[in-house]
Amino acid sequence: MKETNYIGLWLRNWYDIFVHEIRLIFSDAGVLVIFFVGGLLYPVLYNLIYMHGTVDDMPIAVVDLSGGSYSRRYLQKVDATRECEILTYCASLEEARQLMERRTVHGIVLIPRDFDERLVRGEQATISTYADMSSFLYYKCLTMGTSLTMLDEMHTIQTERYASAGLDAQSTYQLVQPVLSDEEIPYNRPFSYTIFFLSAALMLVIQQTLFYGQSLLVGTLREQNRSFVSMPRHLQGLGVGRVLLGRGAAYFAIYMVLGTLILLLIPWIFRLPQRAFWTDILVLLVIYLVDCILFTFTWSSLIWRRETVFVLFLSVSPICMFLTGFSWPTSAIPPFWQWVSYLFPSTFGCQAFINLNTAGGTLSTIAPQIRAMTLQTVIYYFLSTVAMFIEQRMIENKDRLDALKERINERRGMDAAETRQIIAGE
Amino acid sequence: MRNILDVVRRELQIIRKRPLYVLASVGVLTVNCIFYLTFFQDGLPHDLPIGVVDQDRSSTSRSFATQLDATQLGRVIYYDDLHRARADMQSGRITSFVVLPEGLNADIQANRQPHIGYYVNSLYFVGGALAYKDILTMVNLTNGAVQREVLRAKGMNEREIRARIQPIVLDQHQIGNPATNYGVYLNGVILPGILQMIVILITIYAVGSELKYGTSRHLMNKAGGSIEKALLGKLLPYNVIFTVLGITLELLLFHWLRYPLKGSFWAMALNILLLVSASEALGLFIIELFPVLRLAVSVGAIISVMGFSLAGFSLPVEAMPPYVQGFSVIFPLRHYYLIHAQETIFGGGFPFWWKEVVHLLLFLLLPATLIRRLEKAYILQNYERN
Repeated sequence: MKETNYIGLWLRNWYDIFVHEIRLIFSDAGVLVIFFVGGLLYPVLYNLIYMHGTVDDMPIAVVDLSGGSYSRRYLQKVDATRECEILTYCASLEEARQLMERRTVHGIVLIPRDFDERLVRGEQATISTYADMSSFLYYKCLTMGTSLTMLDEMHTIQTERYASAGLDAQSTYQLVQPVLSDEEIPYNRPFSYTIFFLSAALMLVIQQTLFYGQSLLVGTLREQNRSFVSMPRHLQGLGVGRVLLGRGAAYFAIYMVLGTLILLLIPWIFRLPQRAFWTDILVLLVIYLVDCILFTFTWSSLIWRRETVFVLFLSVSPICMFLTGFSWPTSAIPPFWQWVSYLFPSTFGCQAFINLNTAGGTLSTIAPQIRAMTLQTVIYYFLSTVAMFIEQRMIENKDRLDALKERINERRGMDAAETRQIIAGE
Repeated sequence: MRNILDVVRRELQIIRKRPLYVLASVGVLTVNCIFYLTFFQDGLPHDLPIGVVDQDRSSTSRSFATQLDATQLGRVIYYDDLHRARADMQSGRITSFVVLPEGLNADIQANRQPHIGYYVNSLYFVGGALAYKDILTMVNLTNGAVQREVLRAKGMNEREIRARIQPIVLDQHQIGNPATNYGVYLNGVILPGILQMIVILITIYAVGSELKYGTSRHLMNKAGGSIEKALLGKLLPYNVIFTVLGITLELLLFHWLRYPLKGSFWAMALNILLLVSASEALGLFIIELFPVLRLAVSVGAIISVMGFSLAGFSLPVEAMPPYVQGFSVIFPLRHYYLIHAQETIFGGGFPFWWKEVVHLLLFLLLPATLIRRLEKAYILQNYERN
């Protein structure tokens, strides 16, 4: 009989804490702004900024010193690519360089004087390209535009030469391309920045807004000396699990709604690829959220004042982004930072979402990430209980700690009364 | 003057008493420098895992795989069947794979033009693009190698053969970053961006804390009732910290790490000074506009994070929708980046970036527009604190 009583009490406490936390969240405008405005605004803003994810028809300048039929044909083909558009023809490299310096063009193609002559003579000819490296996408455009055209032109010239050497069309074709290739670039055919960036950003926004919002809330409570850790005391020190799970459930409930909007509705509105079953995405969301919430509980123990979380930890967001390995390949990340990346749920969450939603995988595709997140969840559950325990001890011994602080201040020659006045307005 | 000094002294006391300020400026920038400088230390990724499904198991297919493995960019992982390779690409373990079909060797010998298939996962952007380039090169080299055999048999000399196989050669120059080093490209803008973030947030926090903790009247008293003196004295210590941090950062990048810099170091020093001052002014403007600390901090956070995207160093601004392009001017980092690109790559000097200097200087006028609003808030303390 006692057993059921315990479970009943546990559930009642759990429910009270859950309701209490929900009330706290909804009575704090700052937290609501971060959760609802931040959580939904960032994805929308990023979608607007990266609406069109490729650089098309990048302006380039051409210096055609040869001016023959070969160079003209080559340049026409370059102009016709998606990547490049010839803005002007310059008389000299110097003139083109000045255009690039003024940022009117982002690339230069120089065709030397002997280009046509050499090709007519059956020799090897050179084309020089100069890329503006201020953005790697400029470089990529120029390289793709000129290289792909070069390959195409190469085959045309080879065909002409073999034909003039007396080979028939069939053998020429076989000789020029003895091996054919089939290119298959699924998931993101045009190498679009939008598809690549947003797939990861959406997941990251969930973790980061949750962390900032939750830290803001606990920072406030601690500032006002009503930290959540005092709750278990009313439960005779037995309620650590109840407090954690009750509070966690509150964030879970809110973020299930938000997460569904971010991961399912936003991609639908902005027509991002959605190749997974929506049920799979929800499963991923549940696992990811539980992980993120406990991650947040653990690390927010470091936040003792309301707004400090932004001042100290905002720059963690871009770091998390690079650690996911979706832009800089994981194989190229130094080992130390790979270990650091295992601290963040986003590392596995983003990878899982990319593979699931954008690459059209199934739950078995993301099994390694799910395993990693489960392990993280267990570890962070343990760590957040430890953090609660430590904080509880600190609050119990608050007087002694304060006395210690006072003594340190005295030794550093500070007037405690005055500092309190300028810092806390007491 | 004495009032200002009083305020400065008071501020120094706050900085000493609350480790947050030093932690959030010097500490955060140091951590970020260590992160980004070690993260991109390779400059360009190498040994990217590329899958090879060798269904032919002939000398040709083997040599294709070994040569792909020998390229600087690639490292070959062998697969027995297509499905495993596809699954691994889907899960991001490899960024691409090549299928060498059965009969590849025999088909080449018999002029039957076999197909080599390759698959690239471009969701992992840099890795995908580089692997794509590597495979493309390998396929073309294979074509060249076959042609070479045939032409040799026909008795051509090597020079003629080279001209036949590759009639056109591209001679590529990367202006401003000859080694295509990602570290040089990204760190040169990300780290100043982090500094911008630090400056905006700390300015807001320092000025806003007075409101939140109700200490603003004490501050005004010290400053002899003048808001200008109060702000001047209050921000002076931070200004010194930020300036030192900024100059140290530029020295670190261009002097010690020798990042390519075509123009003069003094231009870059001026650039970072302008960035720091403009960001400080922007932060001050935000807290004047929203004299509630938590709101101002949230707004500052959004603006400084958005600054990275709208600086336009990853996706160029002209590739963004027109209505977004206009917004890019409200981010100091955007102007910093334009001066940075011009100065590091071309070294054109002042005539090429004076407009950006004017833009950045305009930021300094912003706080003046709303200073009375902050004064009222400081004296009346009539905004909610939390």
